[in-house]
Amino acid sequence: MPGLPETVPTEAYLALSAVLFGIGAIGVVLRKSALTMFMSIELMLNAVNLTLVAFARQFGRLDGQVIVFFVMAVAAAEVAVGLAIIVDIFRSRRSVDIDDVSWLRG
Amino acid sequence: MEFLIFSVFAVVSVAAALLMVLQRNAMYSALFLVLIFFCLAVFYILLGAYFLAVVQVAVYAGAIMVLMLFVIMLLNVAYPEPVDRALGLLRPIGWASALVLASLVAWIAAGSPGASVARTASGAGLALGTVGVAEAGHVQEVAVTLFSKYLLPFEMTSILLLAAILGASVLARKRPDHA
Repeated sequence: MPGLPETVPTEAYLALSAVLFGIGAIGVVLRKSALTMFMSIELMLNAVNLTLVAFARQFGRLDGQVIVFFVMAVAAAEVAVGLAIIVDIFRSRRSVDIDDVSWLRG
Repeated sequence: MEFLIFSVFAVVSVAAALLMVLQRNAMYSALFLVLIFFCLAVFYILLGAYFLAVVQVAVYAGAIMVLMLFVIMLLNVAYPEPVDRALGLLRPIGWASALVLASLVAWIAAGSPGASVARTASGAGLALGTVGVAEAGHVQEVAVTLFSKYLLPFEMTSILLLAAILGASVLARKRPDHA
């Protein structure tokens, strides 16, 4: 395949990761459904994971991959607790719209 | 070939991410997120992180997304979200700040000291695949690193997961005062 590099440079992964992270940030800022915001946060976490794996290859070390493993475990815990909170909010307010939970008093 | 695969899946993942964020139906957003997770698994394979690719599909696309879809269906909020947010000016500000954030991260990744460190490292013989990350016995190497150097964080993760189980059950249980 002439004209194309044989391997993908690390910079390409970093740029893609930055784009995905930015889209996730847009989602957190713009959306009002708590569920969609939650998914955008997951997207941002995954973008960071991609950076870690790309650097793990760049430096030829496994530390980055192990840290991604921990990030996944923390994300799983976060999803479990976060979704429980969303379900609890929905029970008391009948809505997952974050504008409906902008005050702190229960 | 590797570059071609990367390009195709990069385009797919960015398109899916945009559709996920702009989609007004939470169910469709969740399905686009699953697509992004699969694209990332492909990138992990390209990067030689085979174990993480499997974990990505099993944990993210499997467990986490099933949990999310379950909650979306349980709450039955697959309604079209209202367009107006009564925020007016905040919407363009949100777009602008998010784009600035993305371009900053891209700029740092592409042209800053960190990237030059990466280039120096590749010049010093730490180039792609030279240290055997992508070789056979890869899972074994990950396991050895995980259970030696990162043993304490590993144990702490198990405690975190236990706390998450307890927290989720306490939060989600039916209380007498409401519901």
